[in-house]
Amino acid sequence: MKSKKNRLFIIAFTLPCALSLFIMYLYPIVRTVIMSFFGVESVTARMSEWSFNGIANYQKIFSSPTFHQAIRNMALIWIVGGILVLSFALLFAVILTSGIRFKKFFRAAIYMPNIISAVALATMWIQYIYNQEYGLLNKFLEALGLEGKNWMGTDMKFWAMLVAFVFGAVGYYMLIFINGIERISGDIFEAATIDGANKIQQFFSITMPLLRSIFKTNITFWSINCISFFLWSKMFAPVNTEASTVVPVVYLYDTVFGTTGNVTRDAGAGAAIGVVLSLFIAVVYFIMNKVIKDDDLEF
Amino acid sequence: MKKKIVSLLLVAMMATGLVACGGNNGGNKTNESSGTQTNETGGEEEAGGDETEEAGGDETEEAGGSGDYSGVELTYWSMWANTEPQGKVIQAAVDKFQEETGAKVTIEWKNRDVKDILNSALESKENIDLFEDDYKRIAQNYVKYVADLSEMAEAAGYADKSYAVFQTQQKAWAQEKTGSEKFTSLAEQPQVGGIFYRKDLFEKAGVEVPTTWTEFMEVCKTLKENGIQPLALDSAYASFAFGYHLSRYVPEETISEMSKEGGWSSNADVAAAADSMIEFVNAGYLADGAPDEYPNSQNKIGMSDEVAMVICANYVTTEVNNTAGVELEWGLFNYPGVEGKDDLAASAYAGANSIAITDYCENKQAAFDLAMMIVTGENDQQMANDAGQIPADPANQAPASQNGTVEVLKATTAPLAWNMGIGENADLYPKLDECVIQLFEGKFATGADFAKALDGLY
Repeated sequence: MKSKKNRLFIIAFTLPCALSLFIMYLYPIVRTVIMSFFGVESVTARMSEWSFNGIANYQKIFSSPTFHQAIRNMALIWIVGGILVLSFALLFAVILTSGIRFKKFFRAAIYMPNIISAVALATMWIQYIYNQEYGLLNKFLEALGLEGKNWMGTDMKFWAMLVAFVFGAVGYYMLIFINGIERISGDIFEAATIDGANKIQQFFSITMPLLRSIFKTNITFWSINCISFFLWSKMFAPVNTEASTVVPVVYLYDTVFGTTGNVTRDAGAGAAIGVVLSLFIAVVYFIMNKVIKDDDLEF
Repeated sequence: MKKKIVSLLLVAMMATGLVACGGNNGGNKTNESSGTQTNETGGEEEAGGDETEEAGGDETEEAGGSGDYSGVELTYWSMWANTEPQGKVIQAAVDKFQEETGAKVTIEWKNRDVKDILNSALESKENIDLFEDDYKRIAQNYVKYVADLSEMAEAAGYADKSYAVFQTQQKAWAQEKTGSEKFTSLAEQPQVGGIFYRKDLFEKAGVEVPTTWTEFMEVCKTLKENGIQPLALDSAYASFAFGYHLSRYVPEETISEMSKEGGWSSNADVAAAADSMIEFVNAGYLADGAPDEYPNSQNKIGMSDEVAMVICANYVTTEVNNTAGVELEWGLFNYPGVEGKDDLAASAYAGANSIAITDYCENKQAAFDLAMMIVTGENDQQMANDAGQIPADPANQAPASQNGTVEVLKATTAPLAWNMGIGENADLYPKLDECVIQLFEGKFATGADFAKALDGLY
């Protein structure tokens, strides 16, 4: 009798959540996957207006040079940006947990770009750092007697955007690393010090192995962040989408809603891009789980 | 007991959560959503139904809120913010309309992203009576959901209060989409493209407005000799600038076709157009640092007395004036034609943000009258003055920043599209645009190299 009552309670509690998940997550996912095989103009068009396209939408996006460029840009952000962000984040985390003075100030200063609007941050980089005439970089080069550069030209724009983005992202991952490092008991480091291990040996033999799960978390977050990269691309190409800064989500947005001066929409192809991006996330998550195992260490 | 209390608390929390998430279905007409403003002067609470149908009848033939619309409620989705000059003028016009007619109008300030939500809202027949967006998008993407304004426009004499080019163009687009002509919107913010220049700098250098490319090159040479950098260019408008140039060599339909299918190299005029542009760039006629990041190059026109011209749509003059905080002496001339291609020399870019009325609007005449009140007469003049734009009503006076625009618009019968066909291939456009920017960056030695690079994208 009691267990029946308990079951009822369990159902009563889980049903709203399950229904919400079903309606708000599962239904759009299923609809998007189905839509990716149909020719659909508007994203909210009735199913009666859809026409079966087979894999034509996928063929279209995989044969598009712009989609190739978008994927290439995203991959570069993921790999180059990832190495830079996680390296700096780890470096700062190790320094800040090593007992330096003004730790709180430095931690707040490095994290600060995260609480500033990305729009303001991007504007600051574009107008005050990369500006050809009065930007910090060209003024610095000028002071050294060197010639300034157009940092926002087609050959440099992507890297300019990446550096600005990395600057804003380091603090977030640093905080996660700090949390992971502070979780490691001081006794372990003390014992290692008594055994004669120096700071570098301690870092590679204790800190790094015990941060494995944190690395996994950070890489997963970074991957999701890169796949959903949008705002910075829009800020660095505010009027039209540009090849140097295009990323898959911007390509998806343009495909679904049209571009400046072109009202053509293709929600079916947009759905196909969405499905491909979801698969990327699944693959990254799967690889992370296979490559980085965090359940073999207890401390 | 403890478990029961915890259970009760959890249930209460869930219920609160559900209520909070449930929202307000009737929220559209109230002011509860952000960015929404309701005007409640005039109008009666019990309005609607048959009464409102009657109000939209023959009673009100004259445009501009002369009818009695007591009891009529309208919802207006605006593409502006209520803090922008356009928003303020619309608000004032709506206030006046309510006062004169007794109607109640709810304005929802949706800002520029309205284009992303309009289609879904129209499909689900959301409570919208009139809305603003680009007139091409209205005539093509929303054509199924908007009312045909032909009869009301004719009754109101709209043809004499507007530019013919927008009506013919939108009817053609609707026909292309649906197979039949439809008058879908009233132009609210006309735009025209060309070369905007500083009259004072032209006078200083002693040059006249050019009509051909050869004359244009001469003008640039003279300007440069007088210490004036001829042309500002931001990379965001590179395709617009080169599109204009190319349209003087190749008809827009051919450019559109090449944009979709390739074949740039097999058209000798493409290489010729690119060659002349390379010659222009190599002569040093671009402003220092151009193609620059938007809006740095165009701003130099207002921030210094060193840059004379920019190729853009008319809003550039207001943008530069506002940034520089000065009222420059602007002029406009159509993009110069090239020798031997006289038939391609006259066309100009023209576009418009417009007001449309939904086909399910129950008070179309009231909505139409409100729209007419905004796009004609003193409200339109106010909009032109405050927002620094071309008046939608040709009888009105263009502000100083829009000198010459009305004349070009009146002369335009077959307008060029934005980017003159280069953007016709939406999927490939970012890559095509990159090649064009590189053309201005001096990355191509010959026009043939440029055409070959474009073809390499297919």
